[in-house]
Amino acid sequence: MNLNDAVFMLLALITLGSALGVVASKNIVHSALLLVLTFLGVAGLYFQMNAGFIGLVQILIYGGAISVLIIFAIMLVMDVEPEKTNLPSPSLGRRLWGVYLVVLLIIALGASIWYTKWPLAISAVNSDEMTALADLMLGKYVVAFEVAAILLLVAVVGAIILAKGADDK
Amino acid sequence: MKGKGLLEGLWITLRHLFEREITIQYPEQMPYLQERFRGCLQFDYKKCIVCGLCTKACPNNVLSYESQPDPNSKKKLLLSYTIDLQYCMFCNLCVEACPTGTLYFNHDFELSEYQRDDIKIVYEIPRSAQAVISEPADSPIEMVDSSAEPAPQPDEDEAKKQKQINAMITALKKNPVKAVSKLVESEAQAQILADILQADEKKLVRMATMMIEDREKAGKVALAFVNKELKDRQQEGGAGNEPE
Amino acid sequence: MENWFVNIAHALTNWLTGLGLSAGWADFILLVVQWVFIIIIVTLNVIVLIWLERKISGFIQQRLGPNRLGPFGMFQTIADAIKLLTKEDIIPSATDKLIFRTAPMFFIIISVMLYVVLPMGENMVIVDLNVGVFYFISVGSLTTICLLMAGWGSNNKWSLLGAMRSVAQMISYEIPLAFSLLGVIMIAGSMRLSDIVAAQSNVWFIVLQPVAFIVYFIAATAELNRGPFDMPEAEQELTAGAYTEYTGMRWALFFLAEYTNLVAVSALMSTLFLGGWQGPFLPSWLWIIIKTYLVMIVFMWLKWTFPRIRMDHLMSFSWKVLIPVTLANILLTGIVLQLFKGMGW
Repeated sequence: MNLNDAVFMLLALITLGSALGVVASKNIVHSALLLVLTFLGVAGLYFQMNAGFIGLVQILIYGGAISVLIIFAIMLVMDVEPEKTNLPSPSLGRRLWGVYLVVLLIIALGASIWYTKWPLAISAVNSDEMTALADLMLGKYVVAFEVAAILLLVAVVGAIILAKGADDK
Repeated sequence: MKGKGLLEGLWITLRHLFEREITIQYPEQMPYLQERFRGCLQFDYKKCIVCGLCTKACPNNVLSYESQPDPNSKKKLLLSYTIDLQYCMFCNLCVEACPTGTLYFNHDFELSEYQRDDIKIVYEIPRSAQAVISEPADSPIEMVDSSAEPAPQPDEDEAKKQKQINAMITALKKNPVKAVSKLVESEAQAQILADILQADEKKLVRMATMMIEDREKAGKVALAFVNKELKDRQQEGGAGNEPE
Repeated sequence: MENWFVNIAHALTNWLTGLGLSAGWADFILLVVQWVFIIIIVTLNVIVLIWLERKISGFIQQRLGPNRLGPFGMFQTIADAIKLLTKEDIIPSATDKLIFRTAPMFFIIISVMLYVVLPMGENMVIVDLNVGVFYFISVGSLTTICLLMAGWGSNNKWSLLGAMRSVAQMISYEIPLAFSLLGVIMIAGSMRLSDIVAAQSNVWFIVLQPVAFIVYFIAATAELNRGPFDMPEAEQELTAGAYTEYTGMRWALFFLAEYTNLVAVSALMSTLFLGGWQGPFLPSWLWIIIKTYLVMIVFMWLKWTFPRIRMDHLMSFSWKVLIPVTLANILLTGIVLQLFKGMGW
């Protein structure tokens, strides 16, 4: 095991451990904070795969923004003791359903991973993966990119109208 | 233009950054005081004509004095002058009222004291400055005090003694029996002495002074007082008049 | 003098490889050494900075500032630090203990992480990431979570209010912060900080991107929660915001992290807009120190000049003024760049 493997192990441990914590924690705020840690672990994995830009996007968007929104939402709507927020489901039937869904998910994901042909390093890894990414997003797929941007803008406007109310005249 | 105010503010603080500091490191560095700064109220006994205008002018009853008529002229003689500074609000009314400039403010502003009694400033006028004051013959006190140097402000020991005397006077006025009970043997005697002292303020003051300055003599004088009183009572049939 | 630190690093690497370690492990140990070095420098620097801030605030208000301990009161902060270290560590009983305890630690870790990409002189950068600027922004955004943790964990309404405010403020100001840097990145053509410094060898970017500089300065002030944007702390209304329940060294860690962030942001500003370590006569690392300190003094000057801004003004200023301005700046920069390209530059 070299240094690279050790780092991977550590990151995987952090990611999986905190992900388990998200599910198992009885306190929903702890869950949300552990979710941040999971995001950061995933970002670390990106870094290890030399995808620095994606990793940083992961940190900025998921670690810094989305998780904050999640925590915000939890804090604003929560009106019970934080310890009682994530009650474990008591009925056995529901647990079995959960296990069934998890098995299904693992099979589906595993199958898709197993049967996909992964192109192994077509060219030498470009040290400046950002340029490649920018070329793709603002060149080849510019229409899709802009449409996604407009979609998000519409969503924002819609949210504002929902929150503040449209001015009917 | 928008934002001009921001730049103006920045310019002001920048200017202040290089200006002289106005903070004074107080205990090491004394503040500059204006000429008419009102610090501690002072009293110049030589100028006082005992007119009493200051005490009337004072809204807080800070000032009080003791006087007695001068047998040689129509004037009054000042015995003591008290400034109870804890009530003073430095309004300057007494200074304005004084016709001779006896009262004035100096620049001393460090007026804190450890004891409440120390706040009071008492000017005891020395005996020699009081010209001729005839006292009853049975009082040995004049010989004690007349040699004192004339000093407008009593020095520290003197002030301390004066304070003790004042305290004793208060005690004697309030609860005479208890205060004098140590001077005489029996309670009856103490009662008699207390009556005497209560009737005559001057005697009370002198007794208090003696009690502080010379305990033994005070005891003797007290005994003499009591004996005299007892004799008088026997002569007059037990009337509790004070001996004149 | 120029190569002092570079030579030290080389000597250390050579010594380590001479001991029989592989190059990877030698690099790793060097990294740890640099890390420790940064932490020491940052901690000591904060002591100087707090003294400087108090002195400047004093002079601006025509006071003397600390002047009792040592020459010009320089040891005052050291005495304060000792006081904080020896203070009782109070953890209120109703707090969320785990979150309460870890929040300051995460905060300081994140603050120190910012230094990894900063070029502190010629050839003096720990990791010269090709996405250095972006790294700085994204890692800096994590401080939000720490403040939120502190505010929530304290179980105190002031703390929570302060945390909420700081989160709203930081998320709003991250956008103009990132956008203002885009202009610089477009001109330099790279997010690598050493490339950006190299691109400024002729002309500093403060000349080419004055609008971006001003917007970045404002947004950075808000990101640092410094006055006049210190709504999250707002001593007069929220006692100390998210830090209300903290005492002793835990509180000091927050303080340390705030000043660490201040230094990092100032260093980034001098790197991006003021030519970085470039400068005549003096060694490069001294230049960056001088520039960083100048920027920090300006930060302090602003803080002690302007009154605190109201929360809604703060938000609307970000969304209605700064973001449109930065977007226009990006557009203008792009057009001008294309024009120059068309003219054959």
